[in-house]
Amino acid sequence: MKVSIQWLNKYVDLSDIGEERIAEALPMIGLEVEDVLKAGLVPLQNVVIGQILEFVPHANSNHLSVCKVDVGDGVIRQIVCGAKNFKQNDVVPVALPGATLPGDFTISETVMRGEVSQGMMCSARELGLGADHSGLLILTGKGFKLGTPINDCFPPADTVFDISITANRGDCLSHLGVARDLAAYFNRELKMPVPENIFARERPSGNASNEFLKVSIETPDCALYNAWTIRGVKVAPSPEWMQRDLLAVGLRPINNIVDITNWVMMELGSPLHAFDAAQIGGNEIHIRKASEGEKIKLLDGKDYVLSAEHCVIADAQKAMVVAGVMGGENSGVTDATTDVVLEAAWFDPASVRKTSRKLALSSDSSTRFTRDVDPTFVAVAGTRAAQLIVELAGGTVAGTPISLGDWPRADRMIEISGDYVRERCGYDVEDAEILDIFKRLRFAVTIEGDKWQVLVPAFRPDVDRPIDLVEEFVRIYGTTTIPSGAIDSPVLPALDAKTARFVAKANDLLVGQGFSECVHYTLRDEAELKKCFGETIAAALALANPLTSEQSHIRPSLLPGLLDALKLNLAAHNEPRRLFETGHVFRPDKSGALRELVSVAFVALAEPTTRNWKSREKIDFYFAKKLAFDLAARAGITEQRLLVEAVAAGTSPLWQPGHAAVANDRAKAVSIEMGLISPKLALDWDIEANVIAGELLFTSDTFKLADKVTKFKAFSTFPPVSRDLALVVDQSVSEGFVADRLKATATKATAKQFAVEKINCFDVYQGKGLPEGKKSLAFEIVFRSENKTLTDDEVNKVFAKIQLDIERNIKCTIRK
Amino acid sequence: MQEQLAAIVNEVETALVGIKTRPDFEAFKAKIVGGNGSLTAVMKQMGKLPKEEKPAAGKLINEAKRKIEAAFAATLAAIGDAELAARLGDPIDPTLPSPDDFEGRKHPLTQTREEICRIFSRLGFTIADGPELESEWYCFDALNTPASHPARDMQDTLFMPADTVSKDASKKADEAYVMRSHTSSVQIRTMLSGQPPIRIVAPGRCFRRDTVDATHSANFHQVEGLWVDKKVTLKDLKSVLDFFVREIFGTSVETRLRPSFFPFTEPSFEMDIKSQNLGALSGRWLEIMGCGLVDPKVFENVGIDPQQWTGLAFGVGLERIAMLVHGIDDIRHFYANDLRFLRQF
Repeated sequence: MKVSIQWLNKYVDLSDIGEERIAEALPMIGLEVEDVLKAGLVPLQNVVIGQILEFVPHANSNHLSVCKVDVGDGVIRQIVCGAKNFKQNDVVPVALPGATLPGDFTISETVMRGEVSQGMMCSARELGLGADHSGLLILTGKGFKLGTPINDCFPPADTVFDISITANRGDCLSHLGVARDLAAYFNRELKMPVPENIFARERPSGNASNEFLKVSIETPDCALYNAWTIRGVKVAPSPEWMQRDLLAVGLRPINNIVDITNWVMMELGSPLHAFDAAQIGGNEIHIRKASEGEKIKLLDGKDYVLSAEHCVIADAQKAMVVAGVMGGENSGVTDATTDVVLEAAWFDPASVRKTSRKLALSSDSSTRFTRDVDPTFVAVAGTRAAQLIVELAGGTVAGTPISLGDWPRADRMIEISGDYVRERCGYDVEDAEILDIFKRLRFAVTIEGDKWQVLVPAFRPDVDRPIDLVEEFVRIYGTTTIPSGAIDSPVLPALDAKTARFVAKANDLLVGQGFSECVHYTLRDEAELKKCFGETIAAALALANPLTSEQSHIRPSLLPGLLDALKLNLAAHNEPRRLFETGHVFRPDKSGALRELVSVAFVALAEPTTRNWKSREKIDFYFAKKLAFDLAARAGITEQRLLVEAVAAGTSPLWQPGHAAVANDRAKAVSIEMGLISPKLALDWDIEANVIAGELLFTSDTFKLADKVTKFKAFSTFPPVSRDLALVVDQSVSEGFVADRLKATATKATAKQFAVEKINCFDVYQGKGLPEGKKSLAFEIVFRSENKTLTDDEVNKVFAKIQLDIERNIKCTIRK
Repeated sequence: MQEQLAAIVNEVETALVGIKTRPDFEAFKAKIVGGNGSLTAVMKQMGKLPKEEKPAAGKLINEAKRKIEAAFAATLAAIGDAELAARLGDPIDPTLPSPDDFEGRKHPLTQTREEICRIFSRLGFTIADGPELESEWYCFDALNTPASHPARDMQDTLFMPADTVSKDASKKADEAYVMRSHTSSVQIRTMLSGQPPIRIVAPGRCFRRDTVDATHSANFHQVEGLWVDKKVTLKDLKSVLDFFVREIFGTSVETRLRPSFFPFTEPSFEMDIKSQNLGALSGRWLEIMGCGLVDPKVFENVGIDPQQWTGLAFGVGLERIAMLVHGIDDIRHFYANDLRFLRQF
């Protein structure tokens, strides 16, 4: 909303306050100033009135003219000019050398294609007087004396505040509204426009027709409808003062009738509409729902197809206006119009919003209706505009004005006390100060002992509870005096959320391992999801209304983002090695319902891409496994609870079969994938190096478990005894399987005399000396007793039994 | 005997020169002083000597033994030194770079989040969380933002298809799911799952249907704050936020509460700061967060009696704070993950 200071001054005298103080005050009462603009002619030096005595075409140019110009100082100047819209003896503004025009454009004497040019004749835009740049600003016949400074010929420049109005302050979408707030803040008198008698608010009379017009409201979307028929108007440009006001607030003057409706809307905040009465078929107006598929061409020149949820203003045959949004081309005021029908109505904010949203069309009118126009002021605005039309465009109001419906809301009474205000504020303020501010806001207060009855006028729909009055008090009283002090915050028995604690631990672990943290967008594109995770997952994660196709889906994994980061940093020669990210990802479960998962993911290049004076061992799957399991342990999931399986061929495009694995706990609260990213897939990211990666996905159930306090377990003070055992098994048999069985066998063999402390695979061998298709797994079995030093004899007996039993328990042979 | 001893000593002294390893040494030593060693054999001869010859022989043997043991000790020391040298390898050049040139860093947004949470934890705020995929009721209705409110426009909010079901975000009725547009929904989930007094901060990711540019991002982060207690006032709001801002920006920072509008707070404010230490942004008012007192309607929506309880709430933009603190001029840096950016923090 653009607000002109000159216009504001009609309602509140701010002349002694100064623009800067106003600009500072507006945001502090909740009216955020987005920009401070100048409208009209700013003070210009060396720009004067001149006359073009004669002109000839420039010899070296087919679009320039060489002019002789008189600026009344007895010297005839030569000025080269590119404009075409002038004739001999035209009077124009002339910027002489030394002048600085808006935009910091300094004029000096120059030579243009061989001809001296001693200044510049100006267009309206060059002077900052408007948008017109089609030619020189012709001032012929206005009686300006040659040499007169240009500022003496135009009114002084205006300051215009571009204010951002929050959704609750529809009342400030008008000069009167902003003036009302500034009057309250600066404690000034509000001057209502004259004649004041038209500002008396009256409920609708119920008159539905006169000899010229018949109106019926046929939908609850319209609560009030007033119409005036004004006959015999002369459509012409509106007076200069009105054009100036409209231009200052960014509206284009059209003609006196349309300008009056716009001007009154900007003055009072109530949108109005003027019809050409001759175009109203049957002299009937119906406020009704549009019929399904009904078409209308609006004043923006576009065709719209309406549906039954939209409200229109129609005549006997056709829709003429989309109610509250925009008028149609078929019934607007034109130069040929002689009789107009002026409409002042109140439309339901929700209905106008819905229509405006559906048609993707917003207007000055819809902006106001959606913020709940003051219904008690609708007829006032109409009366104001009707008077201005009669005054400025001639004509007479014909018949009794139409006045239908009822106020959907009016002034409201709120009960409050000084104590209520003080309790919410937390600081002392006198009753009198609070009451004074209510009065300045034009809220009438009746005091009943401790209780106050505050009457809030209908122009403030946002104020309807005691807490709203507290806000009003604070807004005008000012926030700078709110004291800041000691904070009384007794300890509460609460802990940080478990997910937050886990993520912090995971971050610390990864950072300690040399990983740099990345943060990527949640929104990814469909093709990538399909490629990495398959059609089902991609389909489940589509947004209903994506803004762009690259950001059409929510992410199921952090790994594609991390591959992006690897790609970018490789390309930038940043020598990336280890990257990680934590965040929320989404996966459908078997039923198709979405799970929001906490993810921790990491990627690492198996070896550096840069040359190094010393090489290190490459990292591989087992690096990822160790890191992933350490991360799981920080969520309270121990290795014993995890079931690990190799990624089978054809199950995941992301991972390289034979070099990657998945792990789950039995409760399915965590799922881990780790290993080598498919080198073929990595090539899609232009990554030629081996990428070792891992991702842990936790459901919220993981973190619901109660915190377990670690209980100390005593350990043996006696030495361990170990025996080595190599087993030859089929190559396809996993070490985990053999180790589990060996542990069970050994534990049984000890018959609880002592413990099998550890089964450690220390060698995996296949090749020479072993049959085809077999491998040897060598284990160290560690025994220990809690209460004595084990003798060789005791251990040997058990070891012999293990050797005997293991060949029966699994398919294997002992390698001697 | 003297010749024998001399020969042994000579043999020892000669042979040891060529012995470089511990096993060779032990084998050789056994040949001399082992049970069947040459010196042992000579010593055994002692017993057969006449009594009067024994002292002289003993002296000779002791002399030889001393020499041999000294030679052994010297060789053993030399072997030990050689072994150590082998274990140590070449001496290092301390100026060579480490081949392990990776250094872990937390993302600047994480660092900023942790710093903010740490500051509020000193005032007794604990960390709460909630789903990013949120139901419209929790994201809007419960926060006093009815369906007709401009913030509910499809234009601004990312919606999930109507048939979406989320196991991690309960619905009130049959409302749609959205990608939450603010962390204020965590206020609702926290108040519904517990009883006042409540004092939480909820850091999290939010979404807007915005075109990405230097100041807009398809997702961004907020830290939501909520304090509900018997007598939480405007003065508390100012005090808490002043404390926070001074911890982040230093004690010389100026603050102001500028009246604004949010459906879920009344009164509502934007907090602005002005500091002389913000580079190009020094000396002017900068908006850093929305805040206010919890609207009584929000309390009613979650079954808390607004007569009995009052509250304050605020929402700080993580990117905004990180950009101001570090002088970052483009929000896209946070999401590009260029290590030349990340390694600076």
